[in-house]
Amino acid sequence: MHNYIAVIFKDTRKAYKGLHALWQLDAEGIVTVHGTTVVHRDERGEFQVDTKETHPALATAVGVGVGALLGALAGPAGAAVGAAGGAAIGAAAGGAVGLGADLMRADTRDQATDETAFVLAAGKSAVIADVSEDSTSAIDTRMRELGGIVRRRSWTTLQDDVWFGDYMPGSYLLPYEYIPPGHLL
Amino acid sequence: MSTNTAKDLDHVRTAAQDLHRALSDAAAKRGEAVKADLQAVAQKAKAVTESVKATISVQNEATKKHLQEAVVDFEALQKHTAEALKNSGQAFEASIRQTLADARASAQSVSEAVAAMRSAQSTKSRK
Repeated sequence: MHNYIAVIFKDTRKAYKGLHALWQLDAEGIVTVHGTTVVHRDERGEFQVDTKETHPALATAVGVGVGALLGALAGPAGAAVGAAGGAAIGAAAGGAVGLGADLMRADTRDQATDETAFVLAAGKSAVIADVSEDSTSAIDTRMRELGGIVRRRSWTTLQDDVWFGDYMPGSYLLPYEYIPPGHLL
Repeated sequence: MSTNTAKDLDHVRTAAQDLHRALSDAAAKRGEAVKADLQAVAQKAKAVTESVKATISVQNEATKKHLQEAVVDFEALQKHTAEALKNSGQAFEASIRQTLADARASAQSVSEAVAAMRSAQSTKSRK
């Protein structure tokens, strides 16, 4: 099964432990990880996406792409707002991007209708990943051990989300483990 | 499928990931430093393309399909890297963006080939 997952953790440190554990599962050949990133939501409700320092135009593209993916993980309503709201995402300086208020409203609205959808509460962090897995148990078990809660949407379902337009949902995830300096495990 | 075949594919995947890493690091630089890095990337891309071609014939159909897609992506990467080395200004920036998109697409295709190979091995071992 090819799935997009969001694993919610109580803080950034735990999220990076989760990210490392996910790539370890890949190294052991239990799952195949195609791309990952870590997102945070601060106490004011603003989203931030960790990415490598790169060209400002590319950082903006990462913000737009990951924003759309977060919306899609929040469910169909979130996908619509995530893709449309992507244009409002600011450029990243060293990797941080803020996500517009529309997406925050979208995920709140979605939570009321679908308790299994991805909702990132203020102060929490999440690992976002594109994975292939024969069974969901390996990731679920390992992430639960680390205090993470896993949400999934299938790759096929996301490809069918008409709101994505030209965005390929996983294109903006890094295809290898990246832990920014200062986030020691 | 032999252990060596699986290892070869893992090495190709690592090389594809390294290419993306090198390109995104290069994109963060400015001026001639970017072009020096791009020359190194162009050579690596050519070597990885040959490695992918060499592993295609011994794979199952699903893995083969993803590797064929990877070859197309790697060849586009080589073409756009060559263009980037000749361009300047906005055309250069556009080439860099395209090159990075090619590198990401090729890493994805190789990674999906690895997933297909692992899935086939897992099915085989359950029988």
